Amino acid sequence: MKAPALVALGASVALALAGCSGGTSGTATTPGGSSSAPSQSAAAPVTMTFWHNSTTGDGKKYWEDTVAAFTKEHPNVTINIQAIQNEDMDGKLQTALNSGQDPTIFMARGGGKLADVVAAGQVMDITDKIAPDVKTALGDGIFSAFTVGGKIYGMPTSVLPGGIYYSKDLFKEAGITALPTTFEELNAAVAKLKAKGISPIALGGKDAWPAAHWYYFMALRDCSKDVMDKAAAEKDFSDPCWLKAGEDLKAFADTDPFNKGYLTTSAQQGAGSSAGQIANHKAAMELMGAWEPGVVKDLTPDKKSLADLGWFPFPAVSGGAGDPTAMMGGSDGFACRQGAPAECVDFLNFMANKANQEGYAKAFQTLPANKDAKGVVTDPALQDVLASYDKAAYVSLWLDTMYGQNVGNALNGGVVNMLAGKGTAAEIVAAVKTAAAKG
Amino acid sequence: MILAGPAILMFLAFVILPVFMAAYYGFFKWKGFGVPTNFVGFQNYITIFTDQNFLDALTHNGMIVVMSLIMQGPAAIAFALLLNQNIKGRSLIRVLIFVPYVISEVIVGTGWSLMLQYQGALNDLLTNLGMGWATADWIANPNTAIWTLMVIISWKYLGFAVILMLAGMQGIPDELYEAAAIDGASYWRIQRWITLPLLGPTVRVWAFLSIIGSLQLFDLVYIIWGQYVSSTAGTSTMATYMVREGRLAGNYGYGNAVAVAIFVISLVIALTYQRFVLRRDTEGALTDGPERKAR
Repeated sequence: MKAPALVALGASVALALAGCSGGTSGTATTPGGSSSAPSQSAAAPVTMTFWHNSTTGDGKKYWEDTVAAFTKEHPNVTINIQAIQNEDMDGKLQTALNSGQDPTIFMARGGGKLADVVAAGQVMDITDKIAPDVKTALGDGIFSAFTVGGKIYGMPTSVLPGGIYYSKDLFKEAGITALPTTFEELNAAVAKLKAKGISPIALGGKDAWPAAHWYYFMALRDCSKDVMDKAAAEKDFSDPCWLKAGEDLKAFADTDPFNKGYLTTSAQQGAGSSAGQIANHKAAMELMGAWEPGVVKDLTPDKKSLADLGWFPFPAVSGGAGDPTAMMGGSDGFACRQGAPAECVDFLNFMANKANQEGYAKAFQTLPANKDAKGVVTDPALQDVLASYDKAAYVSLWLDTMYGQNVGNALNGGVVNMLAGKGTAAEIVAAVKTAAAKG
Repeated sequence: MILAGPAILMFLAFVILPVFMAAYYGFFKWKGFGVPTNFVGFQNYITIFTDQNFLDALTHNGMIVVMSLIMQGPAAIAFALLLNQNIKGRSLIRVLIFVPYVISEVIVGTGWSLMLQYQGALNDLLTNLGMGWATADWIANPNTAIWTLMVIISWKYLGFAVILMLAGMQGIPDELYEAAAIDGASYWRIQRWITLPLLGPTVRVWAFLSIIGSLQLFDLVYIIWGQYVSSTAGTSTMATYMVREGRLAGNYGYGNAVAVAIFVISLVIALTYQRFVLRRDTEGALTDGPERKAR
């Protein structure tokens, strides 16, 4: 059924095919979808598909409301929403892009993964299409995650800087009065918590990336900005700071700060997960991104926000070349596929405006990309994140996102091996090199 | 012949074609987006067989093949002998032994991983029994993890082996047992010289299924150990390696090459087994042996 439709369309308007075939397959209600070429009058009907990853609750409702508000302003536009389970997103997107049944608007997290899609020529360059007021409100820095070869390919919707979330009650119980700013102080805090029989740090090692984040943050403190930029551009990990980061992490792990059995602890699933241990006061700290308050909220016994959840930046490492105020984080955002109608970018600009970003921050309990919308952030931990974020010397993207899946995969494996006592810090760096042979 | 057409078409489209597609993609460095263009010849295959992680996974597969046969075979025959007699509650025991095989791998994996975690039920039980010294990190400790896996596999698949053996035993004619009993043979002599030899075809077919299953083992490992820890804990298999280095790393060309490598390894082992072990069982059925006409 789909194939003949494609052939017919292709025969009549080859160029418009790219603009609408994905949207019109099966679900189109507007007749003559082929008239959606951007050059025609604004009233011409346009149908687009929109993929996001919020399958339940406030997030799902937020996108439904946002789309409804947009189509009210643009009566000629129809947007078919498809909420896709986060873990299925990459695979489905890949299949859809290769089959030509791709969504018009899809979720993107930037970095190396986006670069792969860009290299295949399947995502739209929106550099000159971003509305000037949106660009000012979001600031230049945040677009770096979605910039490939000097061109912007995605619209960020959130900033997700990482740091250490902790339980204020458990810190009080252990007699920790000042928040750790250096690793010496963190070690002292860990010792105090242990003395009280409290599991100091929760770590979801089974999912590997939470363990790798410890390595990334060590590298952020140990390596200078120049070295990290060089690694991003040339995949060059020869600077000794990469080794030192591994050794620093190993030394810290040897003090046994993580929850027992952390290698088989998952990150976000159920009360036994690392986030669940924070939610149920079974552990005092966890290194996480800005999505943590929302995740913890779902895992508390009464599904309410954890009242005593606090936040402090990753502590400074002695002898590190990185700026101690530097932060690391990611950004969720959205992209248009190559050849999408002009209304696609209109929608991206629409979702990034102040009102929609305020709604976004509330629905997802996170930090909005639009600086004007930050007034709605009420969670005290997130307010602390925001304060540090505004003061940060620079913000690095998560290393696995920045370097791409292949290197990220090798880093994940290498860090888990080292923590389990099966590998060394040098083998983390070596694993990154052998990964290059596979991709 | 015409009626077989749709089946042949389906087989070609969903079995044969994907194999050739995988072989094609395996010659490229390919990120999965667009058409593969970076042709690298056999480079992926060279990388596979020089990657210590793959060789480790291959070793684990080999161990699982051998240990499955050693652990499950004798136990299955013993259980089948027991259940082949008129004992009380026989049907109930048969059902209970078969239950693990029926439960989905996902549920089995999740359940066992919850019980065997460091702070899971097993360690709690041991501590409460005053056997705190026996607690261990059953899943994550590289020294014990593979044995934990073997226990779970045996528990899961023993029921299937028992059912097969039972069926094999029921197919042995009663006259042989009666004749032996009249001749005054003891129970154990009867089992040794009548049951075991006549159970041969069943054992050989079961072993074949077990070997193939062990080579393809994926779901239990992936669920219990997750995406990365299986390699660290020493329980990774060729299939988990394929997912990790192919899908998770975004190296789809390399992943396809790994799939082809697994296919070839499994095929060689399967054909060898067919040729040397299953030959006398399948003669006439799968091969065009001269005996076919004679019968």
